[in-house]
Amino acid sequence: MENVLEIKNLCKKYDNFELKNITFTLPKGMIMGFIGENGAGKTTTIKAILNIINSYQGEIKIFGLDNREDDKKIKEDIGVVLDDMFFPEILTPNDINKAMLDIYKNWDSKMFYDYLKEFSLLPNKQIKTFSKGMKKKLEIATALSHHPKLLILDEPTSGLDPIARSEVIEIFQNILEKEECSILLSSHITTDLEHMADYITFINNGEIVLSKTTDELLNNYGLVKCSEKEFKKIDKKDYLKYKKTKYEYEVLVENKKDFKTKYNISIIDKITLDDLMVLMIKGEK
Amino acid sequence: MLGFIKKDIAMIKSNFKLIGILIVVYTIMGLMGEVDISFILPFMSVMIMISTFSYDNYNNWDAYSISLPNGRKNSVKAKYIATILMILVVSIITIILSFIISYLNTKSINYGQILISMFGEIFGTLLVLTFMYPIIYKFGVEKARIGIFLIVFGIVFIGGFLLQFIDLSLIANSLSFLEDYLIIILSLIMVMMVYISYKISEKIFSKKEF
Repeated sequence: MENVLEIKNLCKKYDNFELKNITFTLPKGMIMGFIGENGAGKTTTIKAILNIINSYQGEIKIFGLDNREDDKKIKEDIGVVLDDMFFPEILTPNDINKAMLDIYKNWDSKMFYDYLKEFSLLPNKQIKTFSKGMKKKLEIATALSHHPKLLILDEPTSGLDPIARSEVIEIFQNILEKEECSILLSSHITTDLEHMADYITFINNGEIVLSKTTDELLNNYGLVKCSEKEFKKIDKKDYLKYKKTKYEYEVLVENKKDFKTKYNISIIDKITLDDLMVLMIKGEK
Repeated sequence: MLGFIKKDIAMIKSNFKLIGILIVVYTIMGLMGEVDISFILPFMSVMIMISTFSYDNYNNWDAYSISLPNGRKNSVKAKYIATILMILVVSIITIILSFIISYLNTKSINYGQILISMFGEIFGTLLVLTFMYPIIYKFGVEKARIGIFLIVFGIVFIGGFLLQFIDLSLIANSLSFLEDYLIIILSLIMVMMVYISYKISEKIFSKKEF
């Protein structure tokens, strides 16, 4: 399968934080949820992909091209929503349209105004009069209106109230039906991703913990709930992490079928991405 | 690059109300003989351009601009071109107003004096802005404001101190042969100032990380 994004051994060192050998690939036409707690390295990785930070080691290929050598060509086909708001708020959507017409070769004004209408955004109002959710919708409309082949969305739902968040998710779901593009979507709100993402890449403390298909992850991984006595019988190599709660032990296993065959423990729940994140970050080995 | 220029011009245009008020106030003061209208140019240009940097910084535009095609190069180039366009427009407005005020106040228009005075103002404005831009690109607007204040204060203080020991008339006399070429020399200096400042800003921004 053709990959739209390939990251190999990406390293970037700061005084108090480090990206360590980040490696993952995003196949064409797929949606990847990029998860991890705040400060895990999601935004830094995305900034490296976009060359917003450029002093890093490793290789990043987008559409098979080197992201530093073919920067301009690649960016014509990428739509971006960053975690912070980024349009100067004295501008209006009309101003954005005029500027983007000369920035992107494939800018589609009709599409942009159709999105503005769909999102109920007035084209001649200054952005500062918009709510946070409206600003995010404008950013999404801008990211989509040049027919990108790859969408990079960094925490697009972060900081939004539940209503605005569900609206934004709905927008993405509609886009997925209409457009044919690959998506890298970073979020620490994992429930947003469970039904949307084909792949999940989990980053913790600057390192990739896992990168798998969502089905593989949700079907194979399991959350074993057992007593202390039962837990003590489990071989260390048969689980990834465990957490002791008030009444029981919660144990994360990589293959629940194999585990069930080996141990006589009946309660093995399906995991959620939240369980996975919490146990991998806070759990013990 | 045109798109980046359009974005900066749109930001400048959003200050039109303020620009209009300032022009009216200065025109009235000029008619009353209280102020030389040509002072509009440096004051307004510096204020407006700094405000565009403030909005860019405050709204994280710089990081986003890098994610756009050719964003690193074009956003800096566009800022300089938008600045020159704005100075040209404000200069034309100021010259026309100066002619009108001069005519209404004295019933005659001293074209030469007005144009030379405008030339001096353009030179001064460009001097300040070309000096400021690399500092802003390096440190951001807020830190740059303090830095610029300290540098200007330092230059004035040290310059004032050194001037006590230098006979300026001696220098003026020895350079008097350049008088006929002053406009050409200053024009060339202006072009060089803008070019050098642009190259420094471009270099700073090409390495900047957000």
